[in-house]
Amino acid sequence: MRTLRKKHVISRALLTLVALIILLPVVLTALYSFFSPEEIKAFMETRGNYDASVWMEIKLAPRVFSLSQYYNILIEDVSVLRLLCNSAMYTVAILLGQALVIPAMAYALSRFKFRGRDAIFFIVIMLMLLPFQVTMVPNVLTLRAMGLLNTAWAVILPTCFAPFYIFLVRQFMVGLPREILEAAEVDGAGTFRCFIHVALPVCRPILGAAVALSFADCWNLVEQPLTYLAGQTQLMPLSVMFNQLTENPSGVEFAGAALYILPALLIYLYFQKDILSGIQLTELK
Amino acid sequence: MFTRKRSALLYLLPGLIGLTLFYIVPFIGGIYYSLTDGSYKNAFVGLQNYINIWKNEMFLLGLKNTLELSLICTPLVWALSFIVAVLLNRLKPGGSFFRNSILMPYLMPSSAMLLIWLVLFDYGGVINRLVTSLGLMRVSWLEGAALRVPVILMFVWKNLGFAVVIFLAALQSIPEPLYEYARLEGAGFFRQAFSITLPMVVPSAFLVFVLSWINAFKIFKEVYFIGGAYPDEAVYTLQNYMNNMFGKLNYQNVTTAAYSFAIIVFIIFGALFFMQKRLQDRLN
Repeated sequence: MRTLRKKHVISRALLTLVALIILLPVVLTALYSFFSPEEIKAFMETRGNYDASVWMEIKLAPRVFSLSQYYNILIEDVSVLRLLCNSAMYTVAILLGQALVIPAMAYALSRFKFRGRDAIFFIVIMLMLLPFQVTMVPNVLTLRAMGLLNTAWAVILPTCFAPFYIFLVRQFMVGLPREILEAAEVDGAGTFRCFIHVALPVCRPILGAAVALSFADCWNLVEQPLTYLAGQTQLMPLSVMFNQLTENPSGVEFAGAALYILPALLIYLYFQKDILSGIQLTELK
Repeated sequence: MFTRKRSALLYLLPGLIGLTLFYIVPFIGGIYYSLTDGSYKNAFVGLQNYINIWKNEMFLLGLKNTLELSLICTPLVWALSFIVAVLLNRLKPGGSFFRNSILMPYLMPSSAMLLIWLVLFDYGGVINRLVTSLGLMRVSWLEGAALRVPVILMFVWKNLGFAVVIFLAALQSIPEPLYEYARLEGAGFFRQAFSITLPMVVPSAFLVFVLSWINAFKIFKEVYFIGGAYPDEAVYTLQNYMNNMFGKLNYQNVTTAAYSFAIIVFIIFGALFFMQKRLQDRLN
């Protein structure tokens, strides 16, 4: 019993180290957002000094606790806020589109029997493996022909059909016990009622997980806006523009980063149980 | 199981239309692009584009870097996530704090996190303080070949959690009596690990490997954020090459490079699936 407990001490210590490494960048970003712009600007300017006798300070507390970075971003100069709104717009639109398409398709691919079903699923898996660039050029031409290139739709539409989430939700639905849906069918429910009132509620964990993971993708879009929105700066999401903003530091970047992280953090906290149980219950094999 | 075909089609149709329009047709259309010369007449040139691109130094550099980076990242994520999952599994029912924090980086936007990574990896930054405290020389992480280290660490930081969650799910589904029985039979920790844990997690281990490899192949954001469109040649990935060719409107090169890469990807994953099937059959 004693050795068992000792082992746990080692596990705990190792895991604490891992958790610390995982949390540190996020915590530091949040911390630095409460420094005054002047202090953080001076701090950032000590970077890139290749004198071997000089170190950057390790800053763990601001000289004065200050909200002026936030004041600057939220009230004085709203350019970051506008980009953040773009990101939010893409994310909401893509998630809505996926909600309409993906569960229905996963339902068809898991609870129906028809010819070609396995072929379609195989294609979904193949598409999942493909790097974005394979379909990039033809997509640009298709979107241009549809008159959508360089509009927000060019980013939104193709992303609504992300194969990975079809795969994920389908795998979960395959694992659902047959009795649940059959019971509803015996009671006279059609496929649509089964879908809305039985399948979807039962799939809550994987749907939550899919929303959270897909949110992460949308919030972090880089390749799609770079190719489909070439040069349209006013349409770009924050993910693409952020590092350009930080090239000439003005001392408010950390508040920008913190505001950018915050929605992702809230989504994560809200859905974390779903992510864990969703993946746990999915037949990912 | 429903067999009514018409209603199946109804659920399938919206998704199928989108997949066809934005994935399948472009995939097939791309083959055409990679076989023509891109001039006004768009003449058919056979495999000439492929022959040219396999002689193109920048393409080969990008391909080499993408393969190398993914071959470093994938095993790293795979092994680390297995270790963390085993540790977490031993802590049950405690350890929920660790379990909850592990997946958080997956949702963090890379560009927002970059700022703090640049501070930590600075020549006078915290990482170098740790390095010198181990008695080693400082490294300029953000230049030259050393740039690979922050890129890889950013990738591992972000992608570890997802792999841990999959492994953890597999570990938790192993029935406890199996271990009790093994202990009664006198099996030690390692014997248990190799005879029970390992065979039981093979399917998940395979999945983690494939998913992390897919992600590692797509490694680009981290490189783009640190190095821009033309980063140091140690981290110039295939995606950099394709995006730059795209910027120069050289569509033939983009698609030819993309298909060359896709063929490699399909061969690798095809071989992996085949191996997994063999392994699974042997274990059963």
